[in-house]
Amino acid sequence: MSVLLSVILRLIFWVGVMCFIAGIALIGPRRLYEVAHEVVPILRDAKVPIAGLLVVLVASAVGRGALQTLSELVGFELTGAIFALEGNFVGWIQANFVTTEATIYFSWIYIYGYVFLLVFPFIAYAALPKTTMFKRLIVAYALNYAIGLVIYTLVFAHGPRNLDVATSLLYSFNPDFQALTSEVNENTNVFPSLHTSLAVTAGVFGILTRREYPIWVWLSVWLAVSVMISTMYLGIHWLIDVIAGIGLALACVYLSYRLIEDEDGAREPDDRPDELAAEPTDGAAVAGDGGD
Amino acid sequence: MTRTRSRRSVLAGTGLAVASAGCVGRVRNIVGRERSDQLTLEVLTLPADSDPNAVRIAQHLRGHMSEAGIDARINTVDQAELLRRSLLNHDYDIYVGQFPQAVPFEADSLYSFVHSRFAAESGWQNPFGFTELAVDDLLGEQRSADTERRMEHLAELQEALCELQPLSVVAFPDAVTAYRDERFDGWEFGHPTSAQGLLRLSFIPPEERDGEDDGDEDADEPATLRLTTTDDRITENWNPIATEYRRHGTFMSMLYDPLVRRHDDGPLPWLAAGWEWADAETIRVDLRDADWHDGEPLTADDVAFTYEFLRDTSSGEAETPVPTPIFRGRTTIPETVTAIDRSTVEFEVGSVNTAVAERALEVPVLPEHIWRDRTELVNIAGIALDEETTEALVSPNDEPVGSGPITLVDATAETEAVFERNSDHFLLDLDPLDPAAEGDSEDDTTDERPGEEHGTGQDDTGGTRRIPNAFRGKPSFERLVVEVVPSDIAAVQQVGDGLADATLSNIGPEAVPRIGREADARLVNVRSAAFYHVGYNVRRAPLSNPRFRAVLASMIDKAAIVDDAFQGYAAPATSMLAASPGLVPEDLRWDDDRGTDAVHPFRGRDGELDVDAVREAFREAGYRYNAEGELLSRDQ
Repeated sequence: MSVLLSVILRLIFWVGVMCFIAGIALIGPRRLYEVAHEVVPILRDAKVPIAGLLVVLVASAVGRGALQTLSELVGFELTGAIFALEGNFVGWIQANFVTTEATIYFSWIYIYGYVFLLVFPFIAYAALPKTTMFKRLIVAYALNYAIGLVIYTLVFAHGPRNLDVATSLLYSFNPDFQALTSEVNENTNVFPSLHTSLAVTAGVFGILTRREYPIWVWLSVWLAVSVMISTMYLGIHWLIDVIAGIGLALACVYLSYRLIEDEDGAREPDDRPDELAAEPTDGAAVAGDGGD
Repeated sequence: MTRTRSRRSVLAGTGLAVASAGCVGRVRNIVGRERSDQLTLEVLTLPADSDPNAVRIAQHLRGHMSEAGIDARINTVDQAELLRRSLLNHDYDIYVGQFPQAVPFEADSLYSFVHSRFAAESGWQNPFGFTELAVDDLLGEQRSADTERRMEHLAELQEALCELQPLSVVAFPDAVTAYRDERFDGWEFGHPTSAQGLLRLSFIPPEERDGEDDGDEDADEPATLRLTTTDDRITENWNPIATEYRRHGTFMSMLYDPLVRRHDDGPLPWLAAGWEWADAETIRVDLRDADWHDGEPLTADDVAFTYEFLRDTSSGEAETPVPTPIFRGRTTIPETVTAIDRSTVEFEVGSVNTAVAERALEVPVLPEHIWRDRTELVNIAGIALDEETTEALVSPNDEPVGSGPITLVDATAETEAVFERNSDHFLLDLDPLDPAAEGDSEDDTTDERPGEEHGTGQDDTGGTRRIPNAFRGKPSFERLVVEVVPSDIAAVQQVGDGLADATLSNIGPEAVPRIGREADARLVNVRSAAFYHVGYNVRRAPLSNPRFRAVLASMIDKAAIVDDAFQGYAAPATSMLAASPGLVPEDLRWDDDRGTDAVHPFRGRDGELDVDAVREAFREAGYRYNAEGELLSRDQ
């Protein structure tokens, strides 16, 4: 367990440092300070989406073993079909583009870059005057997990590294990471790539909030694309998993807009900047329901 | 995997033409014939996390099959599921796996593996559905022949099996173990991670360890042997007869003592204090004074029950017997097993030779008071589901009560299993410094085996050897912890970091060099008898055709697989008995100069398939190709 613990502590430390720096640079120290004092009302305002996300996360943590068994029993075994369809694409990537520097970079992206990409928007959107984007983000994450969990159960497939199509670069480069990933995931949960879908979700939200955080657009898109490539470069996911992940992400962002409407009533769910710094009113009814 | 193409679409399309053209008869004659489609075969194996080698063999074969025009698919499932499919349900085309016995085995193991009488049963007995009268005869004859004749029969048997290829032997792997020797000593002897290997390890007390003084940190802790594996089945199921959860049965054979334990140089009396030939066809076994882990005494009745129960786990409740999916060859050896008194059992073995008769005693003994209640047919919520499965076969047996040197203490599914030493076990009471045992342990020339010709009149010490010194007063660990890790690399890392004493599961060639890089980790490697093989479901066409299998076999470049997939940590082989070289006839031994299989040489060079030659071979065997170069199947 101590391997796992040290990996987690390193992860928390580095992501914390990155969030702090990005917070100062992109949100500004003043606003950041204010947000720290508004945490309770913001969370209370978004209580339904948060509860939804927690339900999904707990269900995933508790039920994963049972769902995995169910997947083995009744799931569609698609390893062979996926491999027959896309062939050696991931192996080809590794055969042509692997360098030590790239492996270091993508290993870093797969763990640290990914977690930072997912965590920072919580802070960034909590710092916006309205909680709409904050709630949409949570709903979209929850939907990603929930739908991902259902598809994982329906589809039983191993990734390219398990078929010897590609080398397990992440784990041969840094075996400690496997202690972490095996803790939060099964090696048969490859379709769709949740790494891709969550990263793309964060990236799309980055684009949608380009007025509020113009620099974050570039950062989030760059990270999301890197995460996407890293899953294949490291031999963890098939191209088909990644494509399905992108589709899932877009669907979840769309649904989050449908579920959480803009609070000022009839306004279209576009990215119009909100000059009106309306204080989040904690009693206000949250449109839409939680993400499950 | 059968792909039947619906003729309905074809018929619908031709419907109009039929009506207008009026030549109904001709159209019926054309459409009424089944079209041939490309042959589809699925290769079932384990993911690389579970077994880095098997998937490479499977990919090698799949690639070559595709080149030969077969629609070959690969499918990876976890360990229990692979065995469930291949052994229990016979729901596979081709699998790539390992033989279940890692320590060189008695040649009679082939009896259950390929005898047609087991073709309808589930389990390690004939998972291929192979039925060949000539092979059955040879299997029967080797059981009763004297030593010299037996060698001839076994040679003939191996030749027949190599020719007919119900399975293709690929290679005998090196069982590589990463270990550290600062806490336990004795890894270098034999198979360190087999039951006897683990039992003979010696704990080094903290004060006697050399190197840095880290002794005080675990001075008060019990002597704990920590092992890592990628195989999580030991954390979920402890049923010695639930074959889909067993690998080599290492821990089961330490929970459940057999009468006789197979040792490098012959059978060791284990739960049996000794055995003798009562007459030419009867072995009389004396039991040691032993108790079950729950305190109940172990008696001759338990032994008699065990053999009866393994042959029919429903104890007569089912219409037809429900035998176990494992130990089947062994339980068919004795005709009757009778408890004579509290500590004496007689085995009526008929005319089988000594080696085979003694093999009958290598079965784990089960407590009657526990397993007698597990004979009912399985049901879920009272609904009988399967006429052929009993509670005994599906029970996880989560409180295993055996008589062996370890007991299960605690387990967390998919994480770890904790065992404790059985302080009442007979091994602990044996004096390791007993001078009388000295001679037997090293050069064992006094092991008198009663031959079948002179079965009677043996002196009383006949089959009775002393337990070698290495096992006396053992096990020296007080606790045994098996921890599950996600991959072979992680397993080696655990040993390197000092979190484990040794690795249990297979280590792939990518992880092997890491052992050298870890400062305190060492490597021991023994040739395993658990040969990798490609098993064919000969119940299914065209795998039912030995000519077809012969061409498939010639598409496997064993030498290239050993070089590339195993990076040399294996020996290519032709015969299943290659771990006992003395039994393999000259022309079936692997010849490195020839560099390819003696019976079905690889069609190609250096791992590259000669596609034209293979296609020609398929054509010669009566198979056809379409214009796109796809191998056609009429029978699927």
